[in-house]
Amino acid sequence: MLGIQSVASYLPKGRVDNLEQADRFETDREFVEQKIGVATLPRFEDTDSVVSACVAAFDRLCGKANIDKSEIECVVLCTQNPDKGGLPHNSALVHAALELPEECACFDIGLGCSGYVYGLSVIQSFMAANRMKKGLFFTCDPYSRILDDDDKNTCLLFGDAASVTLISETPRYKLATAKFSTKGAGSDALQKTANGLEMNGRAVFNFALQDVPKQIKRTLVSAELTADDIDLFLLHQGSRFMLENTIKRAGIPAEKAPIRLSETGNTVSSSIPLLLEEELDNRPRRILMSGFGVGLSWATAIYEEEKSS
Amino acid sequence: MNHEEAVKIVMSMLEKNVEDLEMSEDKMDKTLVDLGVDSLDIMLVIMDVGEAAGVSISDDEAEGLDTPEKIVEFILGR
Repeated sequence: MLGIQSVASYLPKGRVDNLEQADRFETDREFVEQKIGVATLPRFEDTDSVVSACVAAFDRLCGKANIDKSEIECVVLCTQNPDKGGLPHNSALVHAALELPEECACFDIGLGCSGYVYGLSVIQSFMAANRMKKGLFFTCDPYSRILDDDDKNTCLLFGDAASVTLISETPRYKLATAKFSTKGAGSDALQKTANGLEMNGRAVFNFALQDVPKQIKRTLVSAELTADDIDLFLLHQGSRFMLENTIKRAGIPAEKAPIRLSETGNTVSSSIPLLLEEELDNRPRRILMSGFGVGLSWATAIYEEEKSS
Repeated sequence: MNHEEAVKIVMSMLEKNVEDLEMSEDKMDKTLVDLGVDSLDIMLVIMDVGEAAGVSISDDEAEGLDTPEKIVEFILGR
């Protein structure tokens, strides 16, 4: 059965000092550090692109797993801010940059903060249906491309990053169960307009605190598990205050749910794999991931360690 | 729900969600900002009050609720 074999990420070298941004927006520094929880934001520089960041993540993956590029049969890339406006699909550009074989399926997925949980399920299902053995799932969503420089609601939050997850028949983690939800009627809470990214903070906050915990609980019930059975909860790192309260409302023990966005900010679909890469060394037996945001879209999945890994 | 019960809900939700805030009747007319409630705390308080009182508070309605007493009046009006 297919599953997650390895994960690697990449943070661009560019940095924005969020406390200096706080001064610019006449916002209390303590509020930015304690409530938003972000001290510095990684930012694409002029030389960075979705493709170059994905290639950099892949280079790091090669240091963690033995990868024969000729065996890669599938590349899926999750982004809402692709290079070249998404035409061609950026997975094809990554395919070219990595010099992957022609017998390789490539397609992009346009999802935001729920994208990692969704994308993992999509690539595993697609590969299983087509009897593929090795694939790469990339995330890279440089929201800095669409930020309105005068909008403190979003400028203080979003960071740029990329990740790649190796999906193979010799996985460390296999999907146990997943739930997917959408509230399209609320999609104007987070959207791109002529001015750039616009966010209704209260609507996103209410969504995260009211809808996400319910889905987490439903996912646990459907798997006939409780929070005690989960070793690690990886929740999308939106902002510290939102996370702390989502964790509380979901009944998750705080020590099992890392909050780590001080040096990354909200990296959209890359936030969960960034955490996952760091946490794999601790060998969690059972992991619950929950991604939520633009759409409004949210997805929760439970992955279990493969016993032979 | 009577006024006393509504006051109790609002005061308890403020104290629950805002660090070091001790509520009393004489603070009901002060603005939330003057009570040290920041913009994120306000969102949490409004959500908790709505759930505790069993009323739905829209984003637009929440914008105008800038004192504890206004929150009390709002939930009593529902």
